Amino acid sequence: MILSSDEEDDCDYKPNLHRSYTKKPKSRPFITRTNPRQPKKPRVSGSRSRSSRDSPSLFEVGFPEEDFEELFSGSKVSAGTPWLWFSVRRLLLSSILARVGSGTSNLNELWVDKYKPHSLEELAVHKKKVEEVKSWFEERLKTTKGNLINNVVVINGKAGVGKSTTVHVIASHFGARLCEWNTPTPTIWQEHVHNTNTGIQYTSKLDEFVNFIEKIRKYGLIPSSSFEDAKPSIILLIDDLPMTNGRVAFERLQSCLLHLVRSTQLPTAILVSDYDETDSTDHTAQRLEQLRLSLENAGACKVSFNPITINSIKKTLSRICRQEKCSVTDEQLDLIAKACGGDIRHAITSLQLFCVKPDLVLNGSFSTPSYSYGKEDDIDALVRGISLLFGRDETLSLFHALGKFLHNKRETEVANAITPGDAFLVRDNFSRLSLKMDAPEKILCQAHGQARPVTDFLHENVLDFISDEAMDDAWHVSSYLSDSDLLLSSFRGMLARYNEAENVLQSAAASVAVRGVLYGNSHPSPPRWHAIRKPKLWQVEKSMLHKQKEIVRQRFIAYNGSSSSNVSDVATEYMPVLKWLECRASGFEDNQALVYCNKTHDESCNRMSLDDRESDDDEIEEW
Amino acid sequence: MLWVDKYRPKTLDQVIVHQEIAENLKKLVTEQDCPHLLFYGPSGSGKKTLIMALLRQIFGISAEKVKVENRTWKIDAGSRTIDLELTTLSSTNHVELSPSDAGFQDRYIVQEIIKEMAKNRPIDTKGRKGYKVLVLNEVDKLSREAQHSLRRTMEKYSASCRLILCCNSSSKVTEAIRSRCLNVRINAPKEDQIVKVLEFIGKKEGLQLPPGFAARVADKSNRSLRRAILSFETCRVQQYPFASNQAIPPMDWEEYVSEICSDMMREQSPKRLFQVRGKLYELLINCIPPEIILKKLLSELLKKLDEELKHEVCHWAAYYEHRMRMGQKAIFHLEAFVAKFMSIYKAFLIETFG
Repeated sequence: MILSSDEEDDCDYKPNLHRSYTKKPKSRPFITRTNPRQPKKPRVSGSRSRSSRDSPSLFEVGFPEEDFEELFSGSKVSAGTPWLWFSVRRLLLSSILARVGSGTSNLNELWVDKYKPHSLEELAVHKKKVEEVKSWFEERLKTTKGNLINNVVVINGKAGVGKSTTVHVIASHFGARLCEWNTPTPTIWQEHVHNTNTGIQYTSKLDEFVNFIEKIRKYGLIPSSSFEDAKPSIILLIDDLPMTNGRVAFERLQSCLLHLVRSTQLPTAILVSDYDETDSTDHTAQRLEQLRLSLENAGACKVSFNPITINSIKKTLSRICRQEKCSVTDEQLDLIAKACGGDIRHAITSLQLFCVKPDLVLNGSFSTPSYSYGKEDDIDALVRGISLLFGRDETLSLFHALGKFLHNKRETEVANAITPGDAFLVRDNFSRLSLKMDAPEKILCQAHGQARPVTDFLHENVLDFISDEAMDDAWHVSSYLSDSDLLLSSFRGMLARYNEAENVLQSAAASVAVRGVLYGNSHPSPPRWHAIRKPKLWQVEKSMLHKQKEIVRQRFIAYNGSSSSNVSDVATEYMPVLKWLECRASGFEDNQALVYCNKTHDESCNRMSLDDRESDDDEIEEW
Repeated sequence: MLWVDKYRPKTLDQVIVHQEIAENLKKLVTEQDCPHLLFYGPSGSGKKTLIMALLRQIFGISAEKVKVENRTWKIDAGSRTIDLELTTLSSTNHVELSPSDAGFQDRYIVQEIIKEMAKNRPIDTKGRKGYKVLVLNEVDKLSREAQHSLRRTMEKYSASCRLILCCNSSSKVTEAIRSRCLNVRINAPKEDQIVKVLEFIGKKEGLQLPPGFAARVADKSNRSLRRAILSFETCRVQQYPFASNQAIPPMDWEEYVSEICSDMMREQSPKRLFQVRGKLYELLINCIPPEIILKKLLSELLKKLDEELKHEVCHWAAYYEHRMRMGQKAIFHLEAFVAKFMSIYKAFLIETFG
C-alpha cells in the first residue's frame, strides 16, 4: 500500500525502481551509505533529482516496522559514528514522509530545502560573519581581474552552521552565477561491478576533482553562450572536498588546492567542515585541519563560522512553525534548539520529524510508549526523550573522557538514604560514593573510545592519580587493568575484528578497565593539574620489535652460523656476554663496563624515541 | 668465536653431557628410519647441539654446509595476500626455521610454507635417505591453530619429510603432536657434568683452573651449560690466571632485576610502582622475555623475604605468570604482580613494625 502511494506521487524519488541494484541483504540496509562523512544535501529533495538518481538503493521504502522501532529506541547509537546515525535518521525521516506524505500536500519536501533562506536577512548565521563574507566577495566581484592574489576564501565551521547557504545567498544577492563543485556520489562496489561489465572506466573521485580544478585554474570558466551578453560574475564554490585515503592522495589534493589558491582568477569559496575535536582519532579530520592551515598559509582568507546560537535557531524554527501552521510550544522549540548543538539543518529536520510524529502515532505504526510528551513539567525526562529522538549525540574528546575517569570525581556525601528494598548491603571497604558523572560506558561511547587505547592510556596515567599511601588501591587498579588485558587478548590472531562476539569482548574489556580504575582508586590524590601522557608502552613495543628484528638478524652468530637459536636465548645470554666482552676489549674498567652497557640501553632507547617522534603520524593512524 | 660454539660437539660421538641419549639417537638413525622427533628440555641443556649432531650423523658432513636465506613468501589467505618474511637456514638435506617469529601469523607459515617444503621430495642421488628434515625451533610458542595444522602436515607428508621439533616445555605442545613424535627429553646437565665440560675446555685452552673454581662457575650457572661456558669465558677475559675467589660477572639484566627488587623492598607506593614500571620497560625493550623477568624477580625477592610471606608471593607470581601467558601485553601483568607484592609487603611491614 505504501509503495503504491509512493509511486503515484509525482516525486522523483523512486529507488525501488532500480531493482538491479537493490540486491543488498536485508539485515544491513544502512551500510550502503559508504561515505558517512558528509550527509550533505538531502537525497530526496525535489530539486536534486540527479543526486537521487545517482544514488540508487540508499534504502528501501518498505522497511519492516521493527527496524524503525529499533532505530528510534536508539539502541544502535553505540556504533561510534554519529554521522552515520545522523544520516540514517535523515533517511528515516524522508521515508516517514514518504509514507505519510501522500495525504498531506507538499510534505514530501524537506523543510530544510523548503525554508532555505533566500535573502541575507533570513540567514540565521551571525550578522558579522555574513557581513565579512559578503564584503569579501563584494571586493572581489567589483575589482574584476585587478588583483591576482588572494582570490580564495576558506570558510570553516561545524556541519550545519550554514556555510554553503551563506555563499548561495550572497551569490544570489550579487546576482552572481555560482559554479559549484559537489563531490560526486561515491561508487559503491555493486555499481562498480555493473559499470565495468558495461565497459565504463572507473575514475577515482579525486581524479575527477583534480581535473576539474586544473581546468578551472587554466582556462577559467568558459561562459556558456546564453550568458554571452549578460556576463554575470562568477563565484566558484568548492563544497565538500573529496575523500582522500592515505598520504599520497592527500598530498595530491593539497598541492592541487594550493595551486588553485595561488593562481585562480575567480573568487572562490572553499568550504571545510570541522569535526568535533573528539574525532582526533579520525585521520580525515586531522588531514582537513592540516589542509586548511596550508591553504591559509598560501594566502587564502579564512572565515570561521561558529555554531548558530540557540536564539537564532529558535527564531528560525518558530518562523517555520508559523508558516507551516503547526502548534509547537515554545518550550519544545527551546529543547529542539538546545539539543541540536548549533546545527540548524539538524534542528529543522528535527522539527519536521517532531511535527510529523503525532500523525504516526495516530496511524498506529509506532507502538513505543517511551516518549510521551504529556508531562511538560518533567523537563529532564523530556530532554532525555527529545535528545533521544532529535538530539545529536553529544561527543567528548578522548582526553576529556580520560580525565573524567582518572580524576574520579565523586559525591562528597553518601547519597540520600537508599531505600532498603533495591539496595543490597555492601561492606564498608567495598562501598564507594556515587560517581559524579554519567555511566562510564556512556562516556566511553561519547568519546569513541576503543578498548585497547583507552586501557593503555589509563594504564599509563592512573598511577599519578592514586595517593601516595594507597598501595592497595594501586594493586586493585592494576589487577583490573590486567583483567581487561586478558579480555582484550582473547581471539587474538583470529582476525575476527568484525565478529560480534569480539565487539562484546572489546566493550567488556573497556568497561572493566574504566570501572576498575574508578572503583580501585578509592583514595585519589588531591586534585591538581596532571598532563595526560601518551602511553609509553607503545613506544616500548615499537623499540622492542625493532630490537627483536635486530636480534633475529644477529642470532646466527650463536652456533657459529650453523644453526639458529631462540631469540630469548640470544637476548638473555649471548647479548650480555658479547656486550661485556666488547666493553672489556675496548679497555674499560671493570665496574664501568656494566654502567656502559646500561648506557647503551639508554642510548638505544633515546634513539628509538627520536624515531618515534618522527613517525608520530603513523602511530596515530594505527589506532 | 665464542667458546660455546668452538667447543660444541660436532658429532654424536663427541658428546660429553648426554652420552646415553646420543648413543640411542645414533642407533636410531643408523639402524632404521628416523621417526619425527621432539626434543624438549630447559634452555642450555644441549638440545640444539644434539640436533645438529644428529643431522650430521644422518646426512654426513653436508649437513654443516648451510646457507641463510631470507625470503618473502606471498600467502593467499582467502580475500587478501599476506607477505611473510621468513629466515631459513638450509643445507641440501635439511631446512631449519623458527615459525614463531611470525607472531600470530605463524599459522600461515605452518600451513603454507612448511607444507610447501615438506611436499617436495629431495632428489634421491645415491639411494641414500629418501627424506629431508625440517627443524622447527620454539614449537611451544606456536599458537594453537598453528600446532593443529602442523599435525596434519606431519601425517600427510611423513613419507618424504621428517620433522625435528625443538622446544623448552613439552606441556605447551599439543597432545596430538607429542604422540606423533618420539619424545626426547634433554635434562639440564648436572653440576658435575658441567664441571667436566669446563675442565675439558680449560684443558683445551691450556688454562690453569684453581680447585673449586669450575664448581663455582657451575653453581652460578643455574645448570645451564651454555650459561656456564659463557661465564667461564667472561671470567677468563676478566682475570687470568684465575683466582679461586674470583667474582663471576653476572648478566647485566640480572643485575637490573635485582635492582628492581631492592627498589620494591625499599619503598611501596604508587610512585615507586611507576618507577619500577619504567625499569621493566627497559628490560622489555632489550627483549628479555617477560616470563624470565618474572621468574628472576621472584627468585630475587624470595632471597630477601620473610618466611611467612614466601608462600603468598609465590602464589601471586604463579597467578600472574599464568595470566601473562593468556594475556596480550605482559607489562600489565608484571605490574600487577609488582603492585600486589608491594601491597602485601607494606601490610606486612605495618603489622610487624607498627
